[in-house]
Amino acid sequence: MASASKKTRLHGWHTAHGANMADFGGYEMPLWYSSAKNEHLAVLTQAGIFDTSHMATVLVSGAEALDLLQICFTNDLTACIGKEKKPLFSGRCVYGAFLNEQGHVIDDAIVFQIDEGRYMVVVNAGMGPAIAGHLKAQQGGAGVQITDLSDRLGKMDIQGPAAAKIMQKILASPDTVLDRMPYFSFKGHFDETAPRADAVRLTDGVPILLSRTGYTGEFGFEIFVAPEHFVQLWETAMAAGEEFNGLACGLAARDSLRAGAVLPLSHQDIGPWPFVRHPWPFALPYTDDKTGFTKSFVGDRALLSASDADYTLPFAGYDLRKVSLPAAVLDADGKEIGAVLTCATDMAVGRCGDAIFSIVSADAPDDCKIKGLCCGFVKVGPQLSAGQEVTLKDARRQIQVRIQEDIRPDRTARVSLKKML
Amino acid sequence: MAKEISELTLQDDVRYTEDHEWARKEGGAVKIGISDYAQDQLGDIVFVELPEVDSELEKGDEFGTVESTKAVSELYMPLGGKVVAVNEALADDPEQVNKDPYSGGWMVEIEPSDPAEFDAMMDKDAYLEMLKGL
Repeated sequence: MASASKKTRLHGWHTAHGANMADFGGYEMPLWYSSAKNEHLAVLTQAGIFDTSHMATVLVSGAEALDLLQICFTNDLTACIGKEKKPLFSGRCVYGAFLNEQGHVIDDAIVFQIDEGRYMVVVNAGMGPAIAGHLKAQQGGAGVQITDLSDRLGKMDIQGPAAAKIMQKILASPDTVLDRMPYFSFKGHFDETAPRADAVRLTDGVPILLSRTGYTGEFGFEIFVAPEHFVQLWETAMAAGEEFNGLACGLAARDSLRAGAVLPLSHQDIGPWPFVRHPWPFALPYTDDKTGFTKSFVGDRALLSASDADYTLPFAGYDLRKVSLPAAVLDADGKEIGAVLTCATDMAVGRCGDAIFSIVSADAPDDCKIKGLCCGFVKVGPQLSAGQEVTLKDARRQIQVRIQEDIRPDRTARVSLKKML
Repeated sequence: MAKEISELTLQDDVRYTEDHEWARKEGGAVKIGISDYAQDQLGDIVFVELPEVDSELEKGDEFGTVESTKAVSELYMPLGGKVVAVNEALADDPEQVNKDPYSGGWMVEIEPSDPAEFDAMMDKDAYLEMLKGL
């Protein structure tokens, strides 16, 4: 099964900087440089810079682009912004998933509205062709153009409290760009010929698409840029990050950060089972009474009739010991009730008394020693509530964990940009 | 890998196993730990589980686990014997295994049951040859 992994344009940089490399989604990616733990902590205290150009981007445009996405994407693009459920508008993006007729997840995605009738769909590594193919298969008329930009775009994420200060140093007009930029909004374009390219340029004039999103649960940005400018942008950002002790981060820190932030990994925490009874109901177009959907979409009937579907629930342990997958979930009587989907270590949290605190929690008791907790997701038959204990069992050990409403507290993803400058 | 083979610290006062444990004679006792290669492959070590003092273990027996941010790995006895001491300092400071694998990061000390098992282990040169072949 040995097939050659693809490399991002930063492959040489990663290996020259001592990265431990491994295959992820068909790409040879850095797991960590000198320390996954320090990289994880840096995103809470300073900034972490991630090469994420293994992720795929698909452009969907045309008069019927919205109709096509409404049929294929789980979120309702006409009713998804804010508490009032306003329609998606240009400069905003939204999370959701693409399902098959069985209601199983093909992949999760963020849909960006670049302009009316022009959307950018960001999916996981290697999923560009599958999602482009799925969209084409669902396409009724000819009014949509679907372009898979896999391997034709550079993408990096700058995450952490110093992220805006780093951007301030590398943007041509930082005051304008960083003004009014809420969570899940974006500005600019990576394509020099796009009308919005002038909205965000780097100091050297290169246009980027700058988005206030990420996969860590912490404040920060994702940056999309034409591939020929990618290595230069990375090096500029690394240099700008130096004074804030920014660190290049690998996928190990990305995984432990997202697990603590209760974010799913596609094809691991969401996958070939009905996309219901999970911690991400905001990805589905539920009506106010939660009994139905505000639109119809591929997989909707399967979801509405999935009355025996498993429950996907976040958990955290009592120390940082993990189980290795595959691992079973046992109830208090020792009966097997499901399986572990993700088990990672959030190195920035600990339990003190009945609560979880992070290294940046202002309200942590003085004697609270934070050493890290194992955490992740289980998929179980019975509906468990937060606070209930289960046992995770792998070939080697059994550990007690608690079902959680949330895991790492005091996350900064939604903090106002102004406060971060 | 992060470290090139030429960057690894391979001490010549210890013997090595194929599973990347090391053993060092100290008087009549033998101290055991994991090699620089092993700690580098595992990444940040966050937890070390060690056996009870007085445990009798044979060569190849699992004597504990070492847990990194990446994975949980078993530790195997390079030679048989009775555990006379374990490195209690690793409970609070597991990263010693990363920082100082041959000294502060030692794991157990045993009274060997068969000294010939020590002599059968790889010396530095043999271990280095094995690493080059990986």
